[in-house]
Amino acid sequence: MSCASSIGVVARTARARRLVRLGRLSVWRQILGWAGAWWFAFTLALGQAIVPLLGLVVWMRVLPSASVIGPYYLAVMAVALLTGSFENHTFAQSIYSGDVADELLRPQPVAIGPLGENLAIRVWMVLLGLPLVIGVAVSTRVTYDWRGVLLAVPALMIAALLRFLFTWTFAMAAFWTERVHAAVGFVTLLITLLGGSAAPLSLMPPLLRDVANLLPFRAMLGLPAEIAAGTVAGGNILTGYAAAVGWTAVFGVAATAAWRAGVRRYTSVGG
Amino acid sequence: MTYRVPVRPAGLAAAARSLIHRRYRDVHAVQDASFEIPAGSIVGFLGRNGAGKTTTMKILSGLLHPTSGSVDVLGHVPWRRHNDYLRRIALIRGSQPLGGAPELTVLDSFRYQQVLYDIGEDDFDRNLGELAELLDLDGLLQRQVRALSLGERMRAGLALSLLYRPAVLFLDEPTIGLDVTATATVRRFIAAYSQQTGATVLLTSHYMADVESLCPRLILIDDGRIRYDGSRDRLTATLAPTKLVRVSIPGLHSELAEFGDIVERDGDTCVLRVGRAEVATTTGRLLNRFDVADLSVQEPPLESIMDQAFRAMHADGSATPAPAGESR
Repeated sequence: MSCASSIGVVARTARARRLVRLGRLSVWRQILGWAGAWWFAFTLALGQAIVPLLGLVVWMRVLPSASVIGPYYLAVMAVALLTGSFENHTFAQSIYSGDVADELLRPQPVAIGPLGENLAIRVWMVLLGLPLVIGVAVSTRVTYDWRGVLLAVPALMIAALLRFLFTWTFAMAAFWTERVHAAVGFVTLLITLLGGSAAPLSLMPPLLRDVANLLPFRAMLGLPAEIAAGTVAGGNILTGYAAAVGWTAVFGVAATAAWRAGVRRYTSVGG
Repeated sequence: MTYRVPVRPAGLAAAARSLIHRRYRDVHAVQDASFEIPAGSIVGFLGRNGAGKTTTMKILSGLLHPTSGSVDVLGHVPWRRHNDYLRRIALIRGSQPLGGAPELTVLDSFRYQQVLYDIGEDDFDRNLGELAELLDLDGLLQRQVRALSLGERMRAGLALSLLYRPAVLFLDEPTIGLDVTATATVRRFIAAYSQQTGATVLLTSHYMADVESLCPRLILIDDGRIRYDGSRDRLTATLAPTKLVRVSIPGLHSELAEFGDIVERDGDTCVLRVGRAEVATTTGRLLNRFDVADLSVQEPPLESIMDQAFRAMHADGSATPAPAGESR
């Protein structure tokens, strides 16, 4: 290895270390920041948990003999708490208030800010929603096969990333319009309806199920829960993973394109 | 810098039509603005509301991409926002002096800034120590941002922005809303910082006292065009060719009118307007002729000079404000 390339590797490593440190600090700062609004985080956690909880109650009544309903909906509840994204409130607000201008002038990728806040809110939601999850688990006497849970972990991580990219992409509409909440509210409804929260995809009519399998919403919510609960197996898990990775790549590209176009607009017409 | 803004007549029908056929108008926020600022200068960038000051500041700092033209700050094109550039500048807005989560302490924000700008531990300690002393921050470092007053936020915000020793400061209304003490502290600090570090400062402010105490050079902008670029003294001399002589003489002296125009009379004190060239001889004559108890020579307030300049510029769009008394 030549001296120049060694220096390049060292510089890249140093940059990567700095980014990791900034990311860690960003999450930590946001966790502290949200400590003053824990009650709001609690309402967010309730908002994420309430639909799976209703689904659990309703579907256990409808299908009392289906033993997978409990594990499935408990997993959906946990996935919802771990992947909830609110960039329509947080990042869009920074565009409306002009705070994004300060971020643009900092020598760091702007994504560190929204990503840090996203993870911090999730930490708070998990902390505040955990008693509810434990309560439901105890009362429904739900059990899991550890192999299914392990298989679901990568799907959960992909879901967390995908939902962030998805919500962030739509939140960036705030560069063009002040009505971003309506747009994100609509797509969040689609996640609830077609992601496996209102009803497990396996219980949907065949046509709707086929459509839902093609869309990104299942990968954000239902897929990790299905794998953990054991309602999907074999090739279907692989197909689900392929779709999840594909949609994550799509929304990674979409978020990058929306960011570039949004910043181009913001730096052309001002805040 | 040209913005394209949608326009339509008032009324429901026009609103409905605009859904299908939108019409736009070009707004020239800044045009033909050209100036150079040598390193180490403190320059006042002044204009009325909407004149183009903040737009220019945003272009220079890298927040806005101009429609045409070129800008060079520290050898960088600002709107490319290279990290090397961003590490050497600071845009400080008086309206938003200190961002970040309000639950964090001021010291938390400083520590984050340390990582963000790669400041070594020794430099951090030294810079923070100096800033804390100059801006009286010792009592603030452990406090949460949300508990700070506006003046405290401004002091902390200034220190935060200067922790990494930026070479160029863009100060947008840095003393807005501050009380007398905080304003004086900020002014003293800006002057000291520029002197100590050789930093270049571009300052916008509606407080002429800021400008008077900090900026020997002024750039005036109106309707997006630079109308004046030169020394404050020259502008003052051009627009106000007179000075005010305040003299206190026991007893009423009607012959004071011989010495200049009487602007104000209050008991034994009289304010005379005297041509700049005659100030020395007039004060000498006053002292020789009368038993003078007190005498002072004052410049006309900068507020009134700037008001005069802005009115003149707006009236005829001239690049140079007309001297007072000249017909425009």
